[in-house]
Amino acid sequence: MGFIWYLIIRLGGALVTIAIGAVFVFILMQLIPGDPAIAALGENATDENVAAFRRMHGLDQPLPVQFWIWLSGIAQGDFGKSITLAQGYPVWDLMVQRLPNTLFIAVYALVIAVVISFFAGSIAALRQGRMSDTAATSASILGISMPDFWLSYVLILVFSLGLGVLPAFGFTSPLESFSGALVNGALPAFAIAAPMAGVFARILRAALLETKRKDYVTAARSFGFRDTFVYMHYIFRNALIPFVTVIGVQVRYLVGGTVIIERIFGIAGLGSMMVDGAFGRDYAVVQACMLAFLVFVLGVNLIVDIICAFLDPRRTH
Amino acid sequence: MAESTFSPKRLAREILRNRSATAGVAIIGFMALAMIFGPSFLPYDPNGMDFMAILEVPSWTHPFGTDAVGRDVLARVLYGARISMLVTIIGVSLGGAAGTLIGMTSGFVGRWVDPVVMRFVDLLMAFPIFVLALFLMLVLGFGIQPVIFAIALVYVPNFARLARNTTLAVKEEPYVQAARLMGQSNLRIMLREILPNIAAPMFVQLTVGFAFGIVIEAGLSFLGLGVQPPDPSLGVVMADGKDYFLAHPWVITLTGLTLMVIILGLNLLGDGLRDILDPRLRKRSMA
Repeated sequence: MGFIWYLIIRLGGALVTIAIGAVFVFILMQLIPGDPAIAALGENATDENVAAFRRMHGLDQPLPVQFWIWLSGIAQGDFGKSITLAQGYPVWDLMVQRLPNTLFIAVYALVIAVVISFFAGSIAALRQGRMSDTAATSASILGISMPDFWLSYVLILVFSLGLGVLPAFGFTSPLESFSGALVNGALPAFAIAAPMAGVFARILRAALLETKRKDYVTAARSFGFRDTFVYMHYIFRNALIPFVTVIGVQVRYLVGGTVIIERIFGIAGLGSMMVDGAFGRDYAVVQACMLAFLVFVLGVNLIVDIICAFLDPRRTH
Repeated sequence: MAESTFSPKRLAREILRNRSATAGVAIIGFMALAMIFGPSFLPYDPNGMDFMAILEVPSWTHPFGTDAVGRDVLARVLYGARISMLVTIIGVSLGGAAGTLIGMTSGFVGRWVDPVVMRFVDLLMAFPIFVLALFLMLVLGFGIQPVIFAIALVYVPNFARLARNTTLAVKEEPYVQAARLMGQSNLRIMLREILPNIAAPMFVQLTVGFAFGIVIEAGLSFLGLGVQPPDPSLGVVMADGKDYFLAHPWVITLTGLTLMVIILGLNLLGDGLRDILDPRLRKRSMA
């Protein structure tokens, strides 16, 4: 019972945040200098054309009405029509085409980061103060300090141009060929994953070292439990909570990374769409992308909360 | 007031004793010297083109090579790092100051202000950080000043949340109660009692903020939204390099390496300062 309520409260909170987020994005969009109609039609557009354009996109309505139309549209899966990128094409359709690519890269990167950091953090903590700890800890801070878009080029240099083992450009949609996407997405995913892996590994190391000193661990050892048993059941399980929590925090940085990375590797995803929308002053596209990213971050945080609730049921009370 | 953590002499001594902080100070110090004095030792103008020396590989005359219009890349990197650092420092500091003020007020005043402010902070922290910066650039316009404001605004929620939480922790301390009993105004209590006692974590956050702030600046300028060419910033120089990256990879690689070294220095310094200034962590590491 407690868990269900916890879930409902969390979900409700996320929905409220999305609603406030929609208002926030909408208001800021109004502050953008310049007229979207002029941006779409050009400086030489006739007054009639501008008026027709404004009517078509509902720009002639008062702001609260515009907001209401936009919001009620979103509730029905209608994000309006693209203004300049794909003129008149529904933004929702654009997003549906591109979302799988972004999701794939983001999840791929997250998996890589979690796997690397799990091993690096564990080894560092288990062999504290030895060479392998120093190596893992140094690698972590180096990883954290690498700008992901620069790392992309270094990876292309090493793995595509140098070794010739992985392709640099030409992403395949995971819906067409999953294995193709795994191969083609390896470099962009790793570029996004490396800085995150560094952050995760440090947190896991610190959490493991802290848990190791807890009284209940000493107690478990004094019962005569074997080392591996103590590690699995007493130390890891509790140290996983900060590890999982930091994933929720870091997802803000992760998804931000996709924006530039998608452009570098020519991946048709939400991030590259948002940049194109920003350059093309396609406000409908930018608005929709902002909301999509917001939902993504909140969704990941919801999953993180659920995992934490399983790891530590006290949280749901 | 509690004993001040900010005695410069003591701080310097602690930094020297902390490996990570020493390394950070050394790297940042070296980079700062290179940025400030380096250009005057180089015989090149960062915007000076030399069509006799196009895309030269790194050599003694051009340590970082030259770009597609024969500009010396090292000169551009050094000038660019100046602009990048300046934009980042101003931006993050502005955001830090505003965020600290908002968070401190929110935590100190409490009542209805706190939940409202924190709700908004939560919202801003739910947007991917680079996506928010990109969105703000669209609102503010492209160029160097908008980047500063975008970085500042992106950092407001981080500082506000931290300041609010630390304010809640010190709010009930006896010295704050004493100041209240003495009838001091809220503003005076916040500035004289609370601020000095939450300054240490804010300071650490500032160092860490510089480290990612410079990535935001470079990223925005790399996309062409930030500092506008021909003015160099690290992102602008990298954007130049990406066009001929396949045949001439050194421009982007060496520029990015410089950026990485700066970030590494800031991260090491941040780590060290956290150990030094956060007594809770220090106790833990001694246990």
